[in-house]
Amino acid sequence: MTRWWASRWFIVPTLMLLVTLGWLVYVGRHDNGLIEGRIVDAAGQPVAGATVRIFDRGFVTYQERGRTRSDADGRFRITDNTSHSVQLEAETPALGRSKRMEVRLWFAAQDVRLTDPLRLPAKP
Amino acid sequence: MGTQNVSWWGQQRNRQLALIVCFLLPSLVIFFLYRILPLGWNVILSFQSWSPLRPAEWIGFEHYVEMWEYDDVFWIALKNTLIFIAASPLAIAAALGVALLVNSDLKGASIYRTIVFLSYPLMAIAVGIIWRWMYDERGGIINYALRSAGLIDKPIGFLQDFDWALPSVIFAEVWQILGFYMIILLTGLQSIPQNLYEAARIDGAPAWARFFRITIPMLRPSLFLCVVVGILNSFSSFDLVYIMTNGGPGHATELLITHIYKAGFVQTKFDYAAALTVVQFALLVALTFVANKAAGGNAGAVERD
Amino acid sequence: MASRSKHATLLGLRHLTLMVIAFFMLVPFYWVIKTAITNENIYAYPPSLLPQNPHLFNFVDVWYLIPFPRYLLNSIIVSTIAVVGNVVFNAMAGYALTRQFAGRNLVLALFLSCMLIPFQATIIPAYLITAKLSLLNTYFGLALPMLSTIVCIFVFKAAFEAVPRSLIDAARLDGLSEWRIILRVLMPLSKPAIATNVILTFIWSWNNFLWPLLITRDPLMQTLPLGLARFLSYLEDTTGALYAFAVMVLAPSILVFLMAQKEFIRGLTSGATKG
Repeated sequence: MTRWWASRWFIVPTLMLLVTLGWLVYVGRHDNGLIEGRIVDAAGQPVAGATVRIFDRGFVTYQERGRTRSDADGRFRITDNTSHSVQLEAETPALGRSKRMEVRLWFAAQDVRLTDPLRLPAKP
Repeated sequence: MGTQNVSWWGQQRNRQLALIVCFLLPSLVIFFLYRILPLGWNVILSFQSWSPLRPAEWIGFEHYVEMWEYDDVFWIALKNTLIFIAASPLAIAAALGVALLVNSDLKGASIYRTIVFLSYPLMAIAVGIIWRWMYDERGGIINYALRSAGLIDKPIGFLQDFDWALPSVIFAEVWQILGFYMIILLTGLQSIPQNLYEAARIDGAPAWARFFRITIPMLRPSLFLCVVVGILNSFSSFDLVYIMTNGGPGHATELLITHIYKAGFVQTKFDYAAALTVVQFALLVALTFVANKAAGGNAGAVERD
Repeated sequence: MASRSKHATLLGLRHLTLMVIAFFMLVPFYWVIKTAITNENIYAYPPSLLPQNPHLFNFVDVWYLIPFPRYLLNSIIVSTIAVVGNVVFNAMAGYALTRQFAGRNLVLALFLSCMLIPFQATIIPAYLITAKLSLLNTYFGLALPMLSTIVCIFVFKAAFEAVPRSLIDAARLDGLSEWRIILRVLMPLSKPAIATNVILTFIWSWNNFLWPLLITRDPLMQTLPLGLARFLSYLEDTTGALYAFAVMVLAPSILVFLMAQKEFIRGLTSGATKG
């Protein structure tokens, strides 16, 4: 039984096992359900106190799951996301409602910092 | 060896016999439970009227009469199954062509072989979904290619059209089984002794004569196996038909096996479905017998000196 | 030389034909992968030949929105039971067939005749038998009909018969019992037969659709082919989620096949060489 470790029957399953373990470790450290983003108005200025709603993806529709508000810098933080695919929407009574932004993650509750801001349609 | 004073178990011969029986037992039990017993039970059930709620009653040939006289779907399914079987010689011929092309020390021959054979180990359900999508009127590539080439102006609903449905399903099935035929024929080709060809070439026989006089006769066992597999495939293509058309549109792709499934497990007429199964099995045996005769008996085995 | 250039053109023609054939065999794979990773409305006409805005998120959707992990687990469990049972039972039966005993020909004839009975001809009684054994909707019931296959028995028989008698006799002289002989002498020398058995059983049990369709009652006990069929209508929206599902379902089969090609082909063709 020489060089049994060099056969494809060993190398391929071991590689797959290692990749799976590595992935599980990565997921375990980054699945806190954190979504960070910011809200700007049509002029690009940050908007404080806007309501941000998060929708979880169901089979065919998206269900609202919660809301939060943006702070003084126009940033918001959601900490209890459990889904792998959500939509975000920001709104203020004065400036209107932004378009729904789709956020698709690699695994459920992945921590993500959004690069694009949620844009409200009007200027103050 | 004196055996007078040794018990039955003490005799080594009997111990070995017991061991052999033990070894054979699990397999025999499986085959008895799931091959032999079902065959017999099917026959008995086909002569009875039975449902899970009522005890069995002997009714003789009533189910067969019902099948013959009243069941139009049975005749359609039978016709479709026979068409399915009739398509296999074409597929085998195509596979023979591919096998001949690949049968050499051509560079990359093994890659071509793998590519052609890749479709065979796949799940028939997935193959059905893939082909369903390929045949789609809007997103499918077949309609797109035909329209781009200017051969048709409007998309053809391959799986919804009464005339196109069965050929489409057959085409998908051939795509999957081609690799299998190719492998069998390739193995057969590689077992033909080369000196036969040498002798024929020395005698001045042209290529087509070498093909028809040497290759084809020596391939008889492989060809016979391919034909039998083709017949079996028309009986076992349940998965593909179920997922692509479920027998539709309007029984155009209904095979005997889908009719059996629907009769037995959708309408829960187990006894009638058993009768259908008996007819299907009898047809299978008859066709195999005919193929055997056509191959010259003995499963086409070739006499070697 | 005229014949050399003619030979070269023939070779070129051969390659060309083979490439065309290979292209047609691969188009379905490409089309389904392209649909699975594309980010556009897949029903728009004309369909684009290359994936637009490719993304892999359809695969993530499939993993979470449908019980894909559950189906995968079920398939793995059933296939494992089938493979283990097969190797053990077929090796035992194959060994028994290498010995001479009264009724050997009868048993051989029985096995060969069982080869002629396709599974589809047995579904109704097989279902009733499994129901009587109270094995409906269980992993064992799913694996039971596949726990022994004739082709594999003959593969083992041929492999055992190829072991030189001198080795077996020497082992017997050393006083080894029959079990020990099988485990220590015959099996290690029959590794190709074991591999063939494993791969054939795995592929057959993994792809099996009709039997799980009849046997499972509980959606959570379904295997991958069944799950795929069940979600066909649910997932028919404008995204490629259904086709991502198909790709995920096919990936293990393709991987296992590519790893074990030789053994798989050898197992299939051993039936052709008159076992």
